Amino acid sequence: MTSHNLSREEDLVNKLKARFPEAIKESKVERERRILVAFDKDKLLDIAAFMRDELGFDHLKGVAGVDEPTHKRIKVLYFVGSFSRADIEDIILVMETELDRGNPVIASSVSVCPSAHFHERETFEMFGVKFEGHPDLRKLLTLDNWEGPPPMLKDIKFPEMAQR
Amino acid sequence: MTTTQAQAPAPQSPMTITPGKEASTLDVSVGPQHPGSGHVRLLIRVDGDYIVSIDPDVGYVHRGCEKIAESRTAVSNIPHLERPCIIDAIHLNWGYVLPIQELQGVVVPPRGQYISTIAAEMNRIMSHLYWLAINAGVFSGHTTIFMYAFGDRDLFIELAEMLTGARLTYSFLPPGGPRRDLPAEFQKRLTHLLDYFERRLVEYDRIFFSNPLVVARAKGIGVLKKEEAIRLGVTGPVLRGSGVKYDVRKVEPYGAYADLEFDIPTFEEGDSYARFMVRFEEMKQSIRIIRQALEKLPKGPIARKAPLAIPEGEAIGRVESARGEIAYFVVGDNSDKPARVKIMNGSFRNLIAMPYLIRNVHIADMPIIYGGIDYWPLEADR
Repeated sequence: MTSHNLSREEDLVNKLKARFPEAIKESKVERERRILVAFDKDKLLDIAAFMRDELGFDHLKGVAGVDEPTHKRIKVLYFVGSFSRADIEDIILVMETELDRGNPVIASSVSVCPSAHFHERETFEMFGVKFEGHPDLRKLLTLDNWEGPPPMLKDIKFPEMAQR
Repeated sequence: MTTTQAQAPAPQSPMTITPGKEASTLDVSVGPQHPGSGHVRLLIRVDGDYIVSIDPDVGYVHRGCEKIAESRTAVSNIPHLERPCIIDAIHLNWGYVLPIQELQGVVVPPRGQYISTIAAEMNRIMSHLYWLAINAGVFSGHTTIFMYAFGDRDLFIELAEMLTGARLTYSFLPPGGPRRDLPAEFQKRLTHLLDYFERRLVEYDRIFFSNPLVVARAKGIGVLKKEEAIRLGVTGPVLRGSGVKYDVRKVEPYGAYADLEFDIPTFEEGDSYARFMVRFEEMKQSIRIIRQALEKLPKGPIARKAPLAIPEGEAIGRVESARGEIAYFVVGDNSDKPARVKIMNGSFRNLIAMPYLIRNVHIADMPIIYGGIDYWPLEADR
């Protein structure tokens, strides 16, 4: 089976923590190849640029919102990986940040990572997260005449979707 | 809570032509019912015969898969989560099940892993044949390859039906392992089919991939440089056609891939023809993988019993689908329904390549670039 040596993952976490001692709030190596880093949302662009230029995480796999009404927060998760660095290409690093559920605002990462364009548009329409500085923050997937609230929020229920 | 739907805006004809901002340009709406795959509208701005810019308007087949997934149990999610890409259902199914198994601590027995791998590689061939028929054949006006590839795809579909009971939407891999063992005569028939298909690939090469008309049509069109491909985060054959050797089957082996020998075909050119050739070579590798898996197939149980509930926690699972890496992020909360399922699939990630590639090209080159990306609107829209 797979080895349980996690030194590569811990090394990456330590580099991040050393560079951003205050902005990295929490970090854990979940298992081999999986790292989770919780960060302060104000430092998004600095951390993203550092990860791209210094650590070699060169692409974004996706952006996910997670609505947690009991904690009055919306989490935004960025899934990043590397194509160009063979030693870390198997790692998925999840960068996680918390936004206020009443007013979810975060800087857009399109300037650092152009592929965030459609991912951020989707998270904007599904969770109502405003990505400041996004060049074209429009609805993407829902109907043109959909004027309801962001549909992926937990308190939006669609009875017709319930299990039959 | 009730939701409101406002009055629909004035209906717009799907083929509107309106003057663009600059006097010499026109805005043309292609789709959402175009003759290829349909379901996506490409708003292009043309200057004479050239496309100046493109705005992909997606979402025509959005069905809220991620929202539905929160209201159904882990197992009953499988049939609808594999729907977005019915020609590649095993991979959508498998990618979803991996994180659930990880949270549950369920390990699929070796025989189950091998059977899953065989089914997945058959599905890759079927998906690439569909692409070859429609996105490569029809889009480049080559009707012979359309007939050939669709006919041969059906032979694989028949065997998939024999294995799973369904032609396209198999729901074959619930948590714990595949639903069925290989039926009697299956190995013999599949071996026979692979021998036949290998000969057909030689024919495909002769009439399509080496056809001077196809080469002239696709070579040098829609070039995506290696650095750009990395920066845009594209995946699958689009990435490998730009010279990046990245495949989840090698990077993070799942199923039986760690035991099997195969190559990752990559091409440096980054044009539509390179993307065509990646898929052509991948079909050959799939044959190689299935043959080895059939030969090495271990004995023993095919599946283990998995609990119905998803334990609390988060996990990411990923597989290499025909359209690239498909990753699922699943949050469990000890109930039988997932608290969140996020789908990160190849079509949605490759969507970003469209505005970059379909720019400053002839209108006539658009289908070739679109076909090279192998964009599947239903998968992207979810």
